[in-house]
Amino acid sequence: MENSKAFSLKNLGLGCLLTAAVSGCSEFDSSFAYSAKTESLIAEAQDGTDAAPGVKPTLDSRFGNPQQLKAWLKLPVEWGGASARVEAVASTDTEIRIRFTPEEGKSLPTEAGSVQFITGEGAGQTVAITKWDAQTGEAVLASLPEKSPASGDLCAIDGGAALQSGRVLYMRHCSHCHGTAGDGKGPTAEYLNPKPRDYRHGVFKFTSTNDQSKVSREDLLRVLKYGIPGTYMPSFLLMKDEELHAIVEYVRFLAMRGEYERKLVNELASDYSEKSVSDRLKDEKRSDIVQELNEFLKDEFPATADSLGDELGEVWTAADTEDAKIIPSVPRVPDSPESRRRGRALYLSSTLNCADCHGIDGAGNGPQTLAFEKNPVSGELYKEAGLHDEWDNLNQPRNLQRGIFRGGRRPIDLFCRIHAGIKGSRMPSFKNTPHEDIWHIVNYLLSLQFESEPGAIAAAPAAAAEAAPAAAGD
Amino acid sequence: MATITPALDTHDHSHDHAHGHHEQTFIQKYVFSTDHKVIGIQFLITTILMLMVGGALALAVRWQLAFPWESMPLIGRVFGLFHGEGGQISPEFYTMLFTMHASVMIFLVIIPVLAGAFGNFLIPLQIGADDMAFPVLNMLSYWFMWPAIFCFGVSFVASGPTAGPGNGWTSYPVLSDLAAAAPSSGAAQTWWLFGLTLVGVSSMMGSVNYMTTIINMRAPGMTLFRMPLTIWSMFITAILQAFALPVLTAAGFMLVFDRLSELLPTTIHSVFFVPAGIIVNNAAPTVGGGQPLLWQHLFWFYSHPAVYIMLLPAMGMVSDMLACMSRKPVFGYKPMVYSMAAIAGLGFIVWGHHMFTSGMNPALGMTFMTSTMMIALPSAIKVFNWIGTIWDGNIQFNAVFLNCAAFVALFIVGGLSGIFMAAVPVDIYFHDTYFIVAHFHYVLFGATLFGVFAGIQFWFPKMFGRMMNDKVAKVHFVLTFIGMNGTFFPMHLLGIAGMPRRYADPYLHGYLEHLLPMNQFMTISAIIMGFAQFLLLGNFFYSIFRGQKAGRNPWGANGLEWSAPSPPGHGNFDVPPVCYRGPYEYSSPEAEALGQDFILQTTAPPAGVQRVAVHH
Amino acid sequence: MKKFWALFFWFWPLVALYVCLIAPSRGWWFPSEPLSTLGHQIDGLFYLILIIVTVTFVGTQAALGYALWKGATKGSSQKAWFSHGSHKLEIIWTIVPAFVLVFISLTQLDVLADIRVLSKFPDSVQNSPVAEVMARQFEWRIRYPKPGTKLMNEPQPGDLYFVNEVHVPAAVPTMINLRTQDVQHAFFAPRLRVKQDAVPGLIIPVWFEIEKAGEYELLCAELCGWGHYKMKARIIADSQKGVDEYLTRLELEQNEDGVADAEASAE
Repeated sequence: MENSKAFSLKNLGLGCLLTAAVSGCSEFDSSFAYSAKTESLIAEAQDGTDAAPGVKPTLDSRFGNPQQLKAWLKLPVEWGGASARVEAVASTDTEIRIRFTPEEGKSLPTEAGSVQFITGEGAGQTVAITKWDAQTGEAVLASLPEKSPASGDLCAIDGGAALQSGRVLYMRHCSHCHGTAGDGKGPTAEYLNPKPRDYRHGVFKFTSTNDQSKVSREDLLRVLKYGIPGTYMPSFLLMKDEELHAIVEYVRFLAMRGEYERKLVNELASDYSEKSVSDRLKDEKRSDIVQELNEFLKDEFPATADSLGDELGEVWTAADTEDAKIIPSVPRVPDSPESRRRGRALYLSSTLNCADCHGIDGAGNGPQTLAFEKNPVSGELYKEAGLHDEWDNLNQPRNLQRGIFRGGRRPIDLFCRIHAGIKGSRMPSFKNTPHEDIWHIVNYLLSLQFESEPGAIAAAPAAAAEAAPAAAGD
Repeated sequence: MATITPALDTHDHSHDHAHGHHEQTFIQKYVFSTDHKVIGIQFLITTILMLMVGGALALAVRWQLAFPWESMPLIGRVFGLFHGEGGQISPEFYTMLFTMHASVMIFLVIIPVLAGAFGNFLIPLQIGADDMAFPVLNMLSYWFMWPAIFCFGVSFVASGPTAGPGNGWTSYPVLSDLAAAAPSSGAAQTWWLFGLTLVGVSSMMGSVNYMTTIINMRAPGMTLFRMPLTIWSMFITAILQAFALPVLTAAGFMLVFDRLSELLPTTIHSVFFVPAGIIVNNAAPTVGGGQPLLWQHLFWFYSHPAVYIMLLPAMGMVSDMLACMSRKPVFGYKPMVYSMAAIAGLGFIVWGHHMFTSGMNPALGMTFMTSTMMIALPSAIKVFNWIGTIWDGNIQFNAVFLNCAAFVALFIVGGLSGIFMAAVPVDIYFHDTYFIVAHFHYVLFGATLFGVFAGIQFWFPKMFGRMMNDKVAKVHFVLTFIGMNGTFFPMHLLGIAGMPRRYADPYLHGYLEHLLPMNQFMTISAIIMGFAQFLLLGNFFYSIFRGQKAGRNPWGANGLEWSAPSPPGHGNFDVPPVCYRGPYEYSSPEAEALGQDFILQTTAPPAGVQRVAVHH
Repeated sequence: MKKFWALFFWFWPLVALYVCLIAPSRGWWFPSEPLSTLGHQIDGLFYLILIIVTVTFVGTQAALGYALWKGATKGSSQKAWFSHGSHKLEIIWTIVPAFVLVFISLTQLDVLADIRVLSKFPDSVQNSPVAEVMARQFEWRIRYPKPGTKLMNEPQPGDLYFVNEVHVPAAVPTMINLRTQDVQHAFFAPRLRVKQDAVPGLIIPVWFEIEKAGEYELLCAELCGWGHYKMKARIIADSQKGVDEYLTRLELEQNEDGVADAEASAE
């Protein structure tokens, strides 16, 4: 599938950009769809003016398209490939041999398909490697680069390879639900309940990170491996670890792309959406508005776009640090009827008020499920009664009696759900609740599948009804 | 009991027949015609066109298996589906492809081409009747196909262009029952069920008509055991159909009621096939106490006999054609009849072999295994008799014969592979793998369709008064034969390698990865086979207008139909036929006495021989 | 040209046979030797039928080809053999296949009973399933009883859960309870030659004895919706000790409270 890997490098003062082209034998190309909000801008804001690029070109120059991904090195994505330096160049008329040395603390890959020069004269060129000796680091290049590299130049061997393999895997396993752009709008998506995640908000529900943090790689990996019970997100347990990692990186890439797009659009939406422009036309001229936009795009937008990238890089990097991780300050309180009773009392207490949504018995039928909610963005009431999530999908509170916990059934999973809340949903964070109390609640929740009131059943599993009939056997 | 001595006029009085009718308008004559021949030809042309539709769907399935998740030709670029995905189809679209391929091929091609096209055209002609017993019912049986085709057509788009009925042609509940279980099927699945029911109505009208016609309208002298095997097979098929079909229709309605429960008043909510406590697609748990296996029993109670409905008429036709092209009587005429009857009889008690892994009582499994094994016996007898028929014959190696010989050769493969699946322990491994796909394609394509190709060629002069081009037909035969074996023979091996059917991406599973090149080879074969069908289409339509003119009996065959003009006028026979002998007296001394190697069933014995004794 | 057609009908069965002959060496055959006790019996029956079928195939195709050859070489002046059949032949070719078919049928019965009839299951597995395998769209949810207890049909406190991977002891008969949460699925382990549908509303016991420790594919073999092909899982056969250790580990993991883990990594 990946017969040509053309990398180009653009140093736009934005940090380095690696381009990984993935061209397959497919006859026509897929593309990253832009968000509805981007499409709601006036054309000049979307595409840019003569003077400066708008949202779409800015986005494309940093992220590329599925066939030609770009690596914006501001972002903490493991792009793949090995960085190395040119040690010696020996060229004849017909071939050019380069010896590479790995960057300190790194090693050279065992196989190599191409090299991309990042600094020096030859910067920006990508050349295919025909022969590769991993031992000596010597490569025979397929063709002579236009500008010869010199020793000491920084280069990337198979730059972006991991991201590309992530893309290939994502398109095979994930895209038909989550969409090519990670917008949760693949062809299968319309049939699913709940709807597949739209990554473009940069928000993931089930994380082990605290309420203000992004999702960690480990969290995404966990979801991939074990699926989300009670939804159509299946378990991909049997995929190889490196495949799973590649998918995680690609998903993070898509999430960052989407989030970045949202942020960029927010800079422009209030003044330059079709709607606000048509409002403004009442007392302004269109050419003035475009002129104003033009100046904004030229003078302020590039710097803003840059700093938004920096911010994004920071928060996504932080998510994988120990600081972001939720670590209970006390170990789990041993499960006991007393603890469960305490948990139930907290559950019903007016400070936590779990029952308001989850219902008095935890059946997910609290009074809030019958109320009409207001859409926080548009300010209008939702059509269906009940709680909605950030993606405007109806997202009713969990029925805790079923024993199905989407984010996992381990005590720590439930602890995290309570501590950090469920991001993007109406489940709030209870991080100020003492950890011991959270554990009591966890104990209570885990018991709900088996007893409605703590202590209602004795520990006598033999009494459990054998409800389902056995198959005809003999 | 009557003995008649017909006095045969030598002059033609078919015109008296025709004069009794009004001049017909075009619509009456060719569209809403009650003439069995027109209806037969309508069926034939409709099914040939549907064959192309089904074939296109098959190629789409093959494409995905050979080049998984790569941009699918036409689908992506021309039809503009899956644009955001770069033309890569979705898995639910794949389920629609194989479901609709099977549905179109079975319900709109194989069943109507045999019973509808050939049954209609041949029954009155071969038994010497001027038309069917119920001409209007006959017309309706054709025109009920169109609502069925319409319903199937709607089911392609009812749930959006990228989805459709995706539960397989077997449509097993709970998947096909709860809307949430296969949400992409949605309304399309309900339309599909309506289509299925309408096909059933059409078949039922045909069956009733065929039985009545064959029992009541035979020409003088046409005793049951002077009927060509084609008629026997049509007769037995009609009986099978009439008794099995109501069960499917009932089951279909049950499923429709289950599916439409949400739309219907609460008093007729039904959960025939849904047990309690099923949670799909995050919906509330189901209530009710239905039984999903009930559907399987009801469905296969029809659909197993239906397999014979899809085969027996072809067996009968091939027997006729082999005898004619070998210039020999059919070897073992009565064993042929009895074995067809045995297939039909046993066909009613083998349905459970589709359910060996379903968790039904193992004692039932043993019973079904034994009956299934025994149904191989009449099939074997037929094969031996076909070979006996060819044996030491004066074989005419034309396209008709070659297609018939291919029928026998490929039916042997399909029959033998069936034995593996009749044996329960072995079937446990082969169930729902490509082995079964290979098996039924050898029977339905290898046998039935080759029989149909031969039949089209053979009776074409009777239908249109012109011959089809034999050279083109031979090229079509060779390409189809090679393509067919290249596509389906390797499926046996895929099945042994454990490749499950209905997988959009089998290569996800490590132990199947190495089968990709073989699947690519199969897809190329399938493409050859698919495009070869344009030769058939071209030959067919070209020959209708430009083919070489044919006389009454171009093949030198014996059946009554060959004594009628080509094409026969309204009312079929210019001389009311009287049957004096069986249909297969090729190369008989009687024929030789006339200086030819055939003798029409209507040819009166020479004076002095007792003319005819008909015992009813 | 006539001879060409006769040869054509002789030629293709030879190609078919050749393809079958080289198939095992090309990997177009069983994914591996059967690796369960019942698998050996199933394969034995398969090869028995294969031999009978091959002989029949060769015999009938050769006869058909010969009949064609005879027809092709027959002079046009020679007349066809006028015969309506032979009673004797009919009897022979009715009775011989009948015996063969009944024979095949009878050979299957014992194995079938061993596989499916509950009362013939090995005593050691009777009523003692090691795990519940619950199929759902589109994965396998596994439930083990809390170590030291018996598996109940309804979930019990302390039950252990996992997905797409089921651990069973090797070299001893093992039974699992097969269920489905939604539509019909089928439990298919190709190397073990095990296949059983999971039918909504039923709990179906399935037993097998895996001969050697190792990993075995598990997939779905009954159309269950758009993600049918995604139901990729594995059976891991291990010594009883290994399984017990695994379950202990699983129990620890399942009771993870995030504290011990953090302490360990802090050290």
